[in-house]
Amino acid sequence: MKTNKLLLGDEALAIAACDAGVKAFYGYPGTPSTEIFEAGEKYVKNLNDGRIAEWAANEKVAYEFALGTSYTGYRSVVTMKHVGLNVAFDAFINSAITGIQGGLVVAVADDPGMHSSQNEQDTRFLADFAQLPLLEPSTPQEVYDFTVEAFALSEKLKLPVVVRLVTRLAHSRGEVFALKTSLKPGSVGIPPTSEIYNWVLVPSIARVRYRELRKKLPALYEEAQKFNSLQTFQSAQIGVVTSGMGSAYFHQYKKNNNISDEKYNHLNVKAYPLDINLLLSLIKKSDAIYVFEENYPYLEDMLIPYCKGKCDVHGRRDQTLPVDGELNISLIRQALENRQLDSIVDENLFAQISSLIEIRPPKLCEDCGHRDAFNDITSALKNIGVDDPRIFGDIGCYSLGVQPPHNAIHTCVEMGASLSMAFGAAMAGMSPSIGIIGDSTFFHSGMPTLLSAAKVKLNINLIIMDNAIVGMTGQQAPVASDIAPLIARATGFSEQQIYLLNPLPQKSEENVKQLEQIFMRDEPSLIIFKRKCIIAMQRKLYLSEKKEALHA
Amino acid sequence: MRENPTFGLVVAGVGGQGAITIAQLILGAVWMDGYHVLQSEVHGMSQRGGEVSAHIIFSKDPVMSPTIEEGDADLLLGLEPLETLRHLKYLKKDADIITSMTTIENMENYPSSKKILNLLKSIDGVKMIDSDLIAKDIHFSHKGNMTLLGYASNYLPVNEEVWDKAIKERFKNKGNKMVDKNLHAFNTGRKLINNENSVYQ
Ligand code: SF4
Repeated sequence: MKTNKLLLGDEALAIAACDAGVKAFYGYPGTPSTEIFEAGEKYVKNLNDGRIAEWAANEKVAYEFALGTSYTGYRSVVTMKHVGLNVAFDAFINSAITGIQGGLVVAVADDPGMHSSQNEQDTRFLADFAQLPLLEPSTPQEVYDFTVEAFALSEKLKLPVVVRLVTRLAHSRGEVFALKTSLKPGSVGIPPTSEIYNWVLVPSIARVRYRELRKKLPALYEEAQKFNSLQTFQSAQIGVVTSGMGSAYFHQYKKNNNISDEKYNHLNVKAYPLDINLLLSLIKKSDAIYVFEENYPYLEDMLIPYCKGKCDVHGRRDQTLPVDGELNISLIRQALENRQLDSIVDENLFAQISSLIEIRPPKLCEDCGHRDAFNDITSALKNIGVDDPRIFGDIGCYSLGVQPPHNAIHTCVEMGASLSMAFGAAMAGMSPSIGIIGDSTFFHSGMPTLLSAAKVKLNINLIIMDNAIVGMTGQQAPVASDIAPLIARATGFSEQQIYLLNPLPQKSEENVKQLEQIFMRDEPSLIIFKRKCIIAMQRKLYLSEKKEALHA
Repeated sequence: MRENPTFGLVVAGVGGQGAITIAQLILGAVWMDGYHVLQSEVHGMSQRGGEVSAHIIFSKDPVMSPTIEEGDADLLLGLEPLETLRHLKYLKKDADIITSMTTIENMENYPSSKKILNLLKSIDGVKMIDSDLIAKDIHFSHKGNMTLLGYASNYLPVNEEVWDKAIKERFKNKGNKMVDKNLHAFNTGRKLINNENSVYQ
């Protein structure tokens, strides 16, 4: 793309990929990564030169799509949030051993502070475990630059390269200067005959390939070294290690306070694996070292053993910084100066405000069908004598059913867990056992449970909240709709075990009656509450899809 | 003194109110006027009604942090009084605070709106604007935000023509009528600076 623009970190990644000649975007929606794919999809449409943007049923499948495209010699990006990489982990680990053909960039967005996630796991550990290179930008411009370089690096090392974003970067908008020229997608060809067995990880080959991967490590260190920088000064006694947003905040902290660069020895880490010699040089020059990184103490833990008896390390381990949550400039100031800025809120005002500030939690939309479905389910349970129900839940808008007045969701662990946990509970004697899942989450990883559930004579009730859209992440089209009953039939559910209900207020009485009966039966049932997402309707998403389908 | 000062602005509101649209308008205008900018947006879950805020930082020098340190912001634009209160901690001692007076009470334990407004009134630097009422007066009832932004523009180092351009660009795909309405709401707000009576301070 030609000129400079204001872009989200997520968008910068997508545009960089296009400019680097990417053939395909694959992914599964997940905050804060969703906008990478969405921006990619938009550009793919505009460029109209044979590129691909395709959501997959889950991250593992998306990863394998990308690996397959790479096999044909084309460049691809696969996008996911941090916990999505857990789902794709098998493919991720083993693609390090097969290696790649066309450049493969794995764009993963971590969520320190858990703005919209169930944990704040740190992707650097996963890349480390897979022995893959990882780049960690700290501004939208770096996201762009590093993504372009990631493709070249991927093809040079013949390995997937991870680009790690965090929420604050994924959702930060800033100026990005793009390359003047944009590459068209081109293929480096499928693996040549001489390498045809590299991809077949049967043990005899896998042993050889794994050794090859280990042999690449020096090259990985060497490449990472080109991104990382260490500045030491005669006058400085304190060392600072930063990466990602830690670098951004530390830089701004110095700038805002006119602090000279020479006050601190500074190791700025932008790429991994990190050469230990950089740490050793920093340790030699410093009496104490502060580590500002998002979000697990990854660099800090590398540093600590080498510092024993030589210098103190301050960060999340010694509680100079909180053990969890996002970094910010205040925390850096607190660590380095042991003070905070005076704000307009003095003690007196603070006392007055604190009594008034209440949390304003997100809620299910006012007329959302999930509300009606929850009402129907809890009323039916009450009527059959279950006053204090325990319902297995999943990840989506309907997770908010945990809130009053519904109090209808009692677990939320990871994608797909609702149905399988309900099965496990039913096996152990819970009756009725109920699992609630959304349609997209069902296709993501709920489906396999049907195979087991169809075979048992237990009171297990699998409920799909079907709005034919991925609601929570901004209403993306799901990979499929309307086929859940067919799949259930194929796995062995009879027609009498499959129920389609319409969660509308005027249908409530009828629904409750039917649910009472279903919840009393000692057999598996699949219940589908079918109603469209209000927001998606307001955005006319269902309509435009239909129109597009007609024109297709 | 910083050689080229960094200016920090917080926009706060409730999901569905358009806080991010307002923030993006400001960001675009400041950028068009030649500043380096960075903005942190909240793109959380898509359901309505939670807290939404954006930080905007700009300077003639490059900026790297997309979030503002507590106690370092120069201006707060609050689209809802409780959210204004919530984000006060980001402000410098002599910062300006511009807030709407219309509460959005979408939670059971919403505190007394009278207490909130009285407390806001008692704080130095607060300008309270009944932006929804003013917008209604100009027959543009759902555009209180634009009126508020118009007033806030007096506190931002951006030229009038640049605001014009930014607003036109933002709304041009919604048709000329929408552009004009938004410009009118913006300008009505901008002129309030000359009309002390409609600003409670
Ligand atoms: S976005 Fe859609 S699915 Fe989610 S709460 Fe709102 S109406 Fe329901």
